[in-house]
Amino acid sequence: MQKNINKSLPPTLLMSGRTIRLRRMVSFFGEGVLVTVAFFSVATVLAILYFVTRDTIPFFQAEGFHEFFTSTRWFPSREHPEFGAGSLFYGSLIVTLGAVLIAVPLGVFAAVGLSEILPFTLRQYVKPVIEILASIPSVAYGFFALVIFAPLLQGQGGILLSVGFVIITLPILLLIAALITGVIIRYLNTSGKMVVWLLLFILISGSGGYWIWKISLMISALQIDSGVNALNVAIILGIMALPTVVSVSEDSLQAVSKDIRMASYGLGATKTETIVKAVIPSAASGIFAASLLGTMRAIGETMVVWMASGNAAQIPTPWYDITSPVRTLTATIAGDMGEADHITGSSRYHVLFALAFCLLIFSFISNMVSEWIIKNNKRKLQGGK
Amino acid sequence: MRLRLRLLTDKVFTSFSMLTLVFAGVFLLVFLGPIFIRGAGAFIFKGTVEHRKVIRDLFERSDGNSLAQEIAATNRARQQLYARLTSFENEMAENRDLRMEYKNDYEPFKESLRVLLGPLPGDPIVVTPRKQYGQTRWDRALVKYKEVMNTEEWDYSNPDSMGQKILVPRRSAFAGTSLERVFDEDLDKDNLKAMLRPRLTFYWRFLTDSPKDSYIFGGIWPALVGTFYLTIGAMLFAIPAGILAAIYLAEYAGETTLVSIVRSCISTLAGVPSIVFGLFGLAFFINTMHVSSSKSVLAGSLTLGLLVLPTIIRAAEEAIKSVPKTYKEAALGLGASKFRTILTVILPVALPGILTGIVISMGRAAGETAPIIFTAAVSAGVVLTPLEAFSNPTQALPWSIYNLCTEHEAVDEIRHVQYGMVLTLITIVLLLNAVAIILRAKVERKLRG
Amino acid sequence: MTIQETLERDMTNDRIAEHTSSRHSFRARKFTDFIKKDTADDFEKPEAHICAKDLSVWYREVEAVKKINLGIRKGKVTAIIGPSGCGKSTFLRAINRMNDLIPGCRMTGELKLDGENINSPAVDVVALRQRVGMVFQKPNPFPKYIFDNVAYGPRLLGIRHRGRLMQIVEESLTRAALWDEVKDRLQQNALGLSGGQQQRLCIARALAVNPEILLMDEPASALDPKATLHIENLISELRGDYTIVIVTHNMQQAARVSDYTAFFYEGDLIEYGPTREIFTNPRLKQTEDYITGRFG
Ligand SMILES: Nc1ncnc2c1ncn2[C@@H]1O[C@H](COP(=O)(O)OP(=O)(O)OP(=O)(O)O)[C@@H](O)[C@H]1O
Ligand SMILES: [Mg+2]
Repeated sequence: MQKNINKSLPPTLLMSGRTIRLRRMVSFFGEGVLVTVAFFSVATVLAILYFVTRDTIPFFQAEGFHEFFTSTRWFPSREHPEFGAGSLFYGSLIVTLGAVLIAVPLGVFAAVGLSEILPFTLRQYVKPVIEILASIPSVAYGFFALVIFAPLLQGQGGILLSVGFVIITLPILLLIAALITGVIIRYLNTSGKMVVWLLLFILISGSGGYWIWKISLMISALQIDSGVNALNVAIILGIMALPTVVSVSEDSLQAVSKDIRMASYGLGATKTETIVKAVIPSAASGIFAASLLGTMRAIGETMVVWMASGNAAQIPTPWYDITSPVRTLTATIAGDMGEADHITGSSRYHVLFALAFCLLIFSFISNMVSEWIIKNNKRKLQGGK
Repeated sequence: MRLRLRLLTDKVFTSFSMLTLVFAGVFLLVFLGPIFIRGAGAFIFKGTVEHRKVIRDLFERSDGNSLAQEIAATNRARQQLYARLTSFENEMAENRDLRMEYKNDYEPFKESLRVLLGPLPGDPIVVTPRKQYGQTRWDRALVKYKEVMNTEEWDYSNPDSMGQKILVPRRSAFAGTSLERVFDEDLDKDNLKAMLRPRLTFYWRFLTDSPKDSYIFGGIWPALVGTFYLTIGAMLFAIPAGILAAIYLAEYAGETTLVSIVRSCISTLAGVPSIVFGLFGLAFFINTMHVSSSKSVLAGSLTLGLLVLPTIIRAAEEAIKSVPKTYKEAALGLGASKFRTILTVILPVALPGILTGIVISMGRAAGETAPIIFTAAVSAGVVLTPLEAFSNPTQALPWSIYNLCTEHEAVDEIRHVQYGMVLTLITIVLLLNAVAIILRAKVERKLRG
Repeated sequence: MTIQETLERDMTNDRIAEHTSSRHSFRARKFTDFIKKDTADDFEKPEAHICAKDLSVWYREVEAVKKINLGIRKGKVTAIIGPSGCGKSTFLRAINRMNDLIPGCRMTGELKLDGENINSPAVDVVALRQRVGMVFQKPNPFPKYIFDNVAYGPRLLGIRHRGRLMQIVEESLTRAALWDEVKDRLQQNALGLSGGQQQRLCIARALAVNPEILLMDEPASALDPKATLHIENLISELRGDYTIVIVTHNMQQAARVSDYTAFFYEGDLIEYGPTREIFTNPRLKQTEDYITGRFG
């Protein structure tokens, strides 16, 4: 090998002005390409906002704000069309509410189970279940809701619901009974605590159980006329939103530092106490963000609601009757655009953009809020170290 | 005492959170179970001779002689039935009273037989394929058989509840006529089998056959191809854009406000409802950019590409950032330029992670419906060549699923097609996800060891 | 400077290089060094390969290397020692401008390589790094084939011919004393090698671009004693062909492998001179304390 040391006159390291300029230009150009592409998403967001807004404005110009936001009469295709989106907002709201009521408690418990309770080896096998739930296309969920779940709900709806009700409420009842008993015991301060505790516990859980039994009987007597309704959609949407809630909550639970846990265990707390009193409060904002993202998933979902909500633009009486069909914002856009497309320019066409605009604004806001929360949370956790 | 209580609380709490996980698993089974079982019915089922006729006539595939023999055999089995129908008709033609009495019952009966067995001898030739053949599937044949043997009536005797549907044996309508024998001798189960010859059929061509007569016969090939085009098209656009953006964010971008705006926009984009993407695709790609005169694969791909872009960017950025810095230092220390380093060291190492993101978003693109409703999907159409795909709309699995189970004129007749489609779509998505899970496991193992 | 003076200095330098063992001559030499120490032009000679003049390196507002002056001789092994955080790595990384990668890091003063100031925006960093190779603390082979690891540098230089590449790979691996161990598995992943082998592979990879200078930042600190010995032997073999600058925390190692030693403390260059001298007869108490392990 050539001896480097004797290398004659190494080439100069200094570049000529031309080379420098050339290099600068190349790297400027290269980075320019990257920046452009990266700004693509900014451009897309702006473009979406622009195009949706552009087609929204003519509607409000022609029809005004009042009817759209206050009326519940949705008859866009009549000779004298009515554009009261109230019932659509109601529909979106009620199914989303139902979905959130299902997804958030289940999701948080599942996240706690995944990140705090399951041993690592098991977690590897459980996580894919959640991931698969997330990956199933929405049209498949819609198919399930329409073809499998709706007939079931129509036929055995009452029994199905009451069983579900018992399964969900029973553990909660036991938990609450145990907690209340504990509180009472502390103030009673009597002797023979064991007996008293048992008596109290049985008393409380018994009376609660009685009520659960009563309610479940009531539910089981329920007749559901049509399986395609708000309830059906809410349940399926809840399950669809579950993975989002689980994964974001789990991330925020994982982000809670080990020290907090160790400190709690060190004080002799049980696992539950550690989780409830130490871990969840530290992760609370993350869990809130998770719920918000789950809500977004539910409210923005189209196929399931389109296929299985019944698509009746109405507010049922009483308003909380979730077994009646409803119609949501997304389903209206999907369903009406097919017909409105031919009459581009009419109010009937633009009102759909107005609906999309409302959806968009909601998703922007909740996204910003959740992002802000997550960022803040991260900073807090890092700063706390 | 307190301790025991606390431990109990602990137990209840932990078991409840375990329960939720179990619930998720159970739901998955409840969900996938029927879809897999009934979806398999699109591929494996008891096919009747009519199925084989359809395959021979409409798809020009047959096993030749044996089918001809089979048809001859079924014709023999049907012969007596047809003969008796003819003689009953002759009786009716001669006897006015008989005709007046049974006309209203006889025509529906004949129609139900046509549905079950195909056109009767002497029927005029019809164009619609579904009228040319009887039931191709034994399970459907049994349903239709029930309709041949019974008539439906509504019982309103109880004024307090809704009308009840009851089945009345059809033979009672023809009691005392020469036709009554038909129900016992020609239309018993054994002869039904002889007339239709059900046989276990493995119809894998369900995937590669085109549908005939709006999915009454045949398979799902055009929808499958359409989904393939849309997915690939979306990826062609989203992969380069996503990876370049990720490179920028991971390697070049600083902590400036501008960059944080970009990041915000990416997560905002991820949160935009898919139906809004659809509207945007319509308003922008079709009505403004005029990438095609109306719906097209191109417009749909672009829309889907935008939809999955945030997923790819995030996954790729994550993957690039998790490449150990030492690799980068080593390459730069050897005198590689930054670009060269990214190309030859960082991207190869980050590749499995990037691929994971790509594969997951492929699943997403393949399964999304809302964005393609207004931009690409139609409910009937032919298989496109890649070149035609630019300017023509296409069928696509997700849209066809929606369409077949809500808007098809014979929803119940083609349940097996719907299930088969859902099964196909879910299998595609699950396979892609399985690939992603395996890739990720590989990455994790690499990073750990 | 007159020719005579130059000759004189060269002779002195030669003697230093030869490690004259006589205690007496050491003393004599020390006296001359004493006079001229701490001046940069002391080493601004053909044999002063790298020359720092008032070189400071800043991490934002923190001055990690403070106005140091020193010349590193061509073809010699120079060890840099000092307590943790004193700026050794920072100085080392300044030589091939690796500090550029750290946001907020900048250099002031002069750092000359063969008389050319490399602290200048006009410097072709890519070319510089090809002349100044670097070996890192932790072995960091690419997760590629062994062959491709070594061939990485030559390929950057545009060498594509397989035979030529093979020749370079073999030469480099041989120089790095690794050829015999890996010649049968060139097409295997480099991550499958042992830590010591990986580090020698990294040295081979650095040698393959034919650099003049080799920077080594604690190259053996992640290795077991046997592998460390291997690396040290390798350094001794490379001596003369390459100018080697090695950062180490291991005093024995510095004493064993280096010709010159520089002692850094809190960003200052405290003492610099022939290794023997620094280790047997340090000029400053601080140096002595550090070497004998009284603080660290
Ligand atoms: N990337 C950086 N950003 C800011 N300060 C840094 C950075 N790297 C090093 N420093 C600071 O510069 C000083 C010198 O660091 P350097 O890594 O050069 O020390 P060192 O002598 O190599 O230490 P060690 O023996 O531990 O490797 C230290 O005080 C360190 O905190
Ligand atoms: Mg260091």
